[in-house]
Amino acid sequence: MLKIENLHATVAGKAILNGLTLTVPAGEIHAIMGPNGAGKSTLAYVLGGRPGYEVTEGSVTFDGRDLFAMEPHERAAAGMFLGFQYPVEIPGVSYLQFLRESLNSQKRAKGDAEFSGAEFIKLAKTQAATLGMDAEMLKRPVNVGFSGGEKKRAEMVQMGIMDPKLAILDETDSGLDIDALKAVGHGINEIMRAPEKSVLLITHYQRLLDYVRPDRVHVLSRGKIVRSGGPELAMELEREGYAEVAA
Amino acid sequence: MTALPTRKLEAFRYADIDALASVWPSLAPPVRVEIAAQQKLQQIWLPSGDDVDVRRFDVVLEAGASANFFALNTASRFGRIELDVTLHEGAEFEFDAANIGGGNSTLEVVTTVRHVEPNATSRQTVRSVLAGKAIGSYLGKVAVSRGADGTDSEQSVKAMLLARGATANAKPELEIYADDVKCAHGATVGELDREQLFYAAARGLDPAGARALLLEGFVGGLWDGIEGDDRGIADAARVALKAIA
Amino acid sequence: MNDQLTNREARDAIAKEYEWGFSSDIEQEFAPKGLDEDTVRFISAKKGEPEWMLDWRLKAFHAWLEMEEVDWAKLDIPAINYQDAYYYAAPKKKEALKSLDEVDPEILRVYEKLGIPIEEQKVLAGVEGARKVAVDAVFDSVSVATTFREELKAAGVIFLSISEAIREYPELIRKYLGSVVPQRDNYFACLNSAVFSDGTFVLVPEGVRCPMELSTYFRINAENTGQFERTLIVAEKGSYVSYLEGCTAPMRDENQLHAAVVEIYAHEDAEVKYSTVQNWYPGDAEGKGGIFNFVTKRALCAGARSKVSWTQVETGSAITWKYPSCILKGESSVGEFYSVALTNNRQQADTGTKMVHIGANSRSTIVSKGISAGRSDNTYRGLVRVLPGAENVRNFTQCDSLLLGSECGAHTVPYIEVRNPTATIEHEATTSKISEDQLFYAMARGLDAESAVALIVNGFAREVLKQLPMEFAVEAQKLLGISLEGSVG
Repeated sequence: MLKIENLHATVAGKAILNGLTLTVPAGEIHAIMGPNGAGKSTLAYVLGGRPGYEVTEGSVTFDGRDLFAMEPHERAAAGMFLGFQYPVEIPGVSYLQFLRESLNSQKRAKGDAEFSGAEFIKLAKTQAATLGMDAEMLKRPVNVGFSGGEKKRAEMVQMGIMDPKLAILDETDSGLDIDALKAVGHGINEIMRAPEKSVLLITHYQRLLDYVRPDRVHVLSRGKIVRSGGPELAMELEREGYAEVAA
Repeated sequence: MTALPTRKLEAFRYADIDALASVWPSLAPPVRVEIAAQQKLQQIWLPSGDDVDVRRFDVVLEAGASANFFALNTASRFGRIELDVTLHEGAEFEFDAANIGGGNSTLEVVTTVRHVEPNATSRQTVRSVLAGKAIGSYLGKVAVSRGADGTDSEQSVKAMLLARGATANAKPELEIYADDVKCAHGATVGELDREQLFYAAARGLDPAGARALLLEGFVGGLWDGIEGDDRGIADAARVALKAIA
Repeated sequence: MNDQLTNREARDAIAKEYEWGFSSDIEQEFAPKGLDEDTVRFISAKKGEPEWMLDWRLKAFHAWLEMEEVDWAKLDIPAINYQDAYYYAAPKKKEALKSLDEVDPEILRVYEKLGIPIEEQKVLAGVEGARKVAVDAVFDSVSVATTFREELKAAGVIFLSISEAIREYPELIRKYLGSVVPQRDNYFACLNSAVFSDGTFVLVPEGVRCPMELSTYFRINAENTGQFERTLIVAEKGSYVSYLEGCTAPMRDENQLHAAVVEIYAHEDAEVKYSTVQNWYPGDAEGKGGIFNFVTKRALCAGARSKVSWTQVETGSAITWKYPSCILKGESSVGEFYSVALTNNRQQADTGTKMVHIGANSRSTIVSKGISAGRSDNTYRGLVRVLPGAENVRNFTQCDSLLLGSECGAHTVPYIEVRNPTATIEHEATTSKISEDQLFYAMARGLDAESAVALIVNGFAREVLKQLPMEFAVEAQKLLGISLEGSVG
C-alpha cells in the first residue's frame, strides 16, 4: 500500500528526515512513535504534500503510484487521508459544504458520479453518529469554535465520509480526554480495519494503542526508523522511555 | 447640484471621477432613512446592475433604534456606497458589505458613523475580493462626540487580491472625543490562507475549487446576520465571485 | 549605572515647572528679520558656502514661494507670518575652536542649566574615560563644539556640522543632500532647504560599526528665531550607527517655528537606528507659547537588506507635525517605527509614519502609542503602501490610544494601499482609558494618583520605550510622568 524508501526531506533548509524507509502492506495498521522533534509531523506533511516540505532524496509509492508526482488533492482522490494534528479553521464555510465539495471533487477526479445534496447529508449523518458526534455541528463553519476533542472527532467523521484506502493520522490522539480517545480509537477500527486498507498512526504516546492494536510499531528518531517490532515494542517504549529504546 | 468632487476631497481620494461625472448631473440626493426610537430595520442593498452605480444614504437612528444593512458592491466600472449614519443614545448599527470586482472596476464603500450620544454601538464589516485591475476601497470614519461615553464601535476590513494589478485601499479612521469608549479597528490585506488551502487540498478539493470555496467563506460570513430567508444577496455575491475567481 | 543616574539627575531639572524657561543673553548675530532672497544669500554668505550651495538654496526658496502650506493634518495651526521671524542667529562666531576653553562660558552655563547630562558635559570638557556618546551640540543654529571627532575619525566615521561638511566634503553633500527628501517634498521641507542654518552630517563607511552612539542636543534659544536644522546620515554598505536626538527649548510667549529635515540614506546591509526624545516647550496650560514643530524625517532603505528604525518619544511642542518614514526600496529591506506621543493641556500632535514598500520581501513594523490628556488633540496618521512590484511584503501595525480625561481627543487615520497580491498587511487599533479599577488598585498599594497614572502610562508605552537606548529610556519614562502632571483630577 505505502512504500517509503530512503526518504530525505527538509523544512526551511533544515534536514528533518534522513533516510526513512518503511513499508505498510494492505490490511495492516502501523504505528510510528518517537520523541518530540524526531520528524513525525514532517513525515505526515511530506506524505500529504504540504508546501514548504521539500523532498531531497528517496521515493514513496502509494498503491504502486509515485506519490510525489501527485498534487495534494490528487493524493486524496487516490484514496489517501491525512488526519491533521491541528485541524485548520475555515470561517464562513460550513463543514457540510466543505466536505461535500471535497468529496465531489474527488469523485470528479475518478470519473464517478457526484453525490446529491440529500445523499451526502445522509452519509454525513451516518458517519457522525458512528463517531458519536452531533450532526448539527456539521452545519457550523469548519472547526471554528470547536474544542480540541471536537476537532479530532470531526477529523474521524471526515475519514468516515471519505472512506480512504490509506489513512495517515498525525497525533490524532493528542489533547483528547478518555471518552474522545475511545471514540477516535473506535472510529479508526470501524472505518479502517479491513483487508484492503492501511493506517499509519503517528503518535507520541502509547495510550491510543490501547484502543487500536497496531500490527507493527516503528520508532522514529532523528529522521529515520531506528527500531521496528510488534505491539510489544510500544509497551517497552512506555516502560523504558525513548532514550533507552532509541539508543 | 454641487460641483463634481475631485480626488483632493478625502472622501473621493480613490474614486473614479470620470465615471462619477457620467452620473453626477442626474444623481439623486442621498436616500434619507430615519429609524424611530426603539424601532428596528433591516435592509439589503443589491447592486443596480448599472456599470456606474452610486448609492448614497443618510441614516439617523434615534435612541434605542437598531439597523442592520447588508450591501453588495459589484458595478463593472464604478460602484460607490456612501453612508452617513448618526447614532443617538443606545442605538445599534450593523453594516456588512462586500466589494467584488474584476476588470477595471473601482469599488468603494465610504462611511461616516457618528456616535453623538452615549452607549450606541456600531459594527462595520467590509470584505473585498479584487481581480484584474480592480480597485476596492473602504474609507470609513467613526466619530465619537464629546460626551458619547459607552460608545462601542468596530471596523473590520479585509481584502483579498486575486491578481497582480488589483489594488486594495483601506482607511479605518477614528475621531474620538470621549474617554469611556471602546473603539477598535482591524484591517488586513492578503492572499488566501495557505494552511486553509492545504487543508482543503488534503480533503481532495482541486486548487480552483479550494480557492472558490475559501473565497466564498471569506465573503459568506457577511450574510450570517440576515434575518429571514432572503438569500438573494448571498447568491448574488456567489455569482459575482464565480465571475472573477 | 552611573551614567543613567547622572542623566536622571540632569533631567530632574524639568521635573517641577518648566525650569528651562530662561533665556541667556549671549550676543546674537541676526539675519535681518523676514524672508526674501537676500535672507537666503545672507545665510549662505555667513556660512561661507560655495556657489553651488547658494544656488541650491535659492532654487528651494523660489520653489517654496510657489507652494502652499499643508492643511490636511488634524491641526489648528495659527497663521504663521514668515516675514516676522528671524532666519539666522548665531552665537558670536570665533575661529574654529580648539578646546572647550574657547567656548563662551555663557554657553557652557546654559548647558549646565539645561541639564545636558553630566556625562556629556564631561565629554564636552574632554574628560578622559567619559562615556562614549559623541555630542554635536547645536546651540541655536551653529555647532559650537564637536567632540570625539578623533576617535570617530579613526573608525572612518564622519560626524560634523553640516556647514563644515559642505566645506570639507562637498562631493558627498552634493550627492546626498535632498536625495531622500527632495526640496519640493512639502512646504516646510522646502523652506528648510532654502534657509537651513545648521545641522549634522554623518557618514559611516562600508563595514564600519560606529564605535559610539551619536547624539545631538538641540536647543532653541533666540527670541523669534526659527530653527531650521538639517540632518543627513549616510550609512554605507554593511555599516551600523545609532543616533540619538534630544531637545528642549526655553519658555517663550511667542510661538516659535521649527522646520527640520532629517534624511537617512542606507546602503546594502546597512542599519541605522534613530532615536528621538522631543520635549520642547509645549506652551503653558492655556496653550500660550510653545514650539511649532514641523519636521520631515525620511529614510531611504536603498540597498538590499538595509534597515532603518525610528523610535520617538514626543511629549513637547505646541504643535507637532511629524512623520518619520521609510522608503523600502532595497530587496528584503526593513523599516520600523516605534512612537509614543503624549499631549496635554492645549497641545496638538499629528504624527505617524509612512512605509512605502518598493522592494521584494521588504518588511515593516509600526507601533504607535498615543496618550491624550487635558484638552489636547493627538492624531496618529500613517500610510502603508505596497507597490505592484513588491513581492511578499509584510507589514504589521499596532496603533493604540489612551485617553486621560473627557476633554481631549484621540484620533487614528491609517491609510493602507496595497497593489501586490502577495502582501500580508495587518493593522490593529484600540482605544482605551485608564480604568478606575486600575487606578484604585495602584492607589490601594500606596501610589498617589499621579504616580499611579504615570505607572500605567509607562506600561502602556513600554513596547516603544524598550526600543530606546537604556539611558534614553530612563529619561523618556520620567518625561512621560512629568508631562502628565496636572492632568489627573
